[in-house]
Amino acid sequence: MTPAFSPFLPVLLLLLIALGVGAAILVVSGRILPGLMKPNNPQPAKLTPYECGVPPLQGGARHRYSVKFYLVAMLFILFDVEAAFLLPWAVQYKTHLWTFWAMVSFLATLLVGYVYAWGKGALDWER
Amino acid sequence: MADLRLDDSVMTTRLDSVVNWARKNSLWPLPFGTACCAIEFMSMMSSRYDFSRFGAEALRFSPRQSDMLLVLGTVTNKQAPVLRQIYAQMAEPKWVVAVGVCASSGGMYRTYATLQGIDRVVPVDVYVPGCPPRPETMIYGVMQLQEQISRESLSSRKEHIERFYQSLARQEERQRASGQSGYQTVREMVLEAGEQGEQQIW
Amino acid sequence: MVIERIEAQLPGVVLDRHDFRGDETVVVAGDRFLEVVDFIFGEGFQMLLDVTAVDREDREPRFDVVYHFLNLTSQDRLRIKVPVAEGCAVPSLVSRFKSADWSEREVFDLFGIPFEGHPNLSRLLMWEDFPGHPLRKDYPLDGGDRFCSQDIGASFAPEARSLNI
Repeated sequence: MTPAFSPFLPVLLLLLIALGVGAAILVVSGRILPGLMKPNNPQPAKLTPYECGVPPLQGGARHRYSVKFYLVAMLFILFDVEAAFLLPWAVQYKTHLWTFWAMVSFLATLLVGYVYAWGKGALDWER
Repeated sequence: MADLRLDDSVMTTRLDSVVNWARKNSLWPLPFGTACCAIEFMSMMSSRYDFSRFGAEALRFSPRQSDMLLVLGTVTNKQAPVLRQIYAQMAEPKWVVAVGVCASSGGMYRTYATLQGIDRVVPVDVYVPGCPPRPETMIYGVMQLQEQISRESLSSRKEHIERFYQSLARQEERQRASGQSGYQTVREMVLEAGEQGEQQIW
Repeated sequence: MVIERIEAQLPGVVLDRHDFRGDETVVVAGDRFLEVVDFIFGEGFQMLLDVTAVDREDREPRFDVVYHFLNLTSQDRLRIKVPVAEGCAVPSLVSRFKSADWSEREVFDLFGIPFEGHPNLSRLLMWEDFPGHPLRKDYPLDGGDRFCSQDIGASFAPEARSLNI
């Protein structure tokens, strides 16, 4: 008695063939052909980090850098999330009067924060 | 296509020539441009002389992603260990073209500060003379390299690359032992090789 | 001219002078050098163009440190030479002129003349542990490399193909 899914047997066959051919292509082009053609010369110098040829950074990568990068990133996240909230509101703010003013109050809160950041010099890149 | 020889298997020879054909027609340069020859290189890359018709339009300023190191310009003694490190970090297959007389032999700078030819510190495949060489000269130099590549055999080991890595190991050993900087170590190795009549430290 | 004003204001400071068609030079001793610099700064010479040195081998003191100043308003130039013996230091002008920073490092690197009061007196052009000072007259031009003067040729020369085909 044939199982109920028998019309889909060709699909299974096609899937297996596709996977097999894909694996064969990968193996041939990734293992067999490079094994024939690839120059194999592993050297420790080839694994060193590329720093334009000069001796690598002394003390590792734990360098101190200015806090202005962190500030800009943080402010970006905050105002980007605010902009993300503005987008769904923008398509339906005309439904009620209350809808409009709710967002205005949200923006006003964030505006206070923006003016504070500006006044405190967080946007001043030069210093 | 390469000749069929009775003592080679037909398959290997054909594979060699196919692979060499692919390699020589897609030489991605690493322009190690330090001086005036780099300007001539720029004009060689532009449309009038058009180096990209040799498959070399993809300039890769990283040793991992390029196969041909074009040393364009004067290399000082302070720059010598830097050049060695860049060459060491390149993945094989790799070739070096010394463009201009400063890279080939030190050029007009016969002083304490200039390396008298990069073949003292790295193995070189083609030398292109000129001060600076015209773009046509540099193209001819790369064509010579292409002919060299087409005659290469895949199965032979590249002895000079092996010797280079041994000299790099000697340099690092010496640097560790003496505590000097890489610059002074390479300079001393070059001077000592000169004393013994050897022109190269690899 | 400015040399007369220097002599009037600071008598006895000018050891020698040279003036030919606008090329004004004074020779000043190292211990009174800063006084002269401050005076000419007041006179308008507020730009230090260059600091360099000359190695006069057979003379005592051995080196002459040469400073070039420019008066931006009157476009006058002034050269000040400070004779200094080997091993003696010259006061640094870094606190007064920012351009003195690397110029003095270059003079220290190539001649070995130390500058007192320089914040970072290390080699600039040659590498940190380079032995010797290259621009001194007793330093060989080739730095000990015999291949500089001999025409040995490329290492792969036997295998190199001729271009005359």
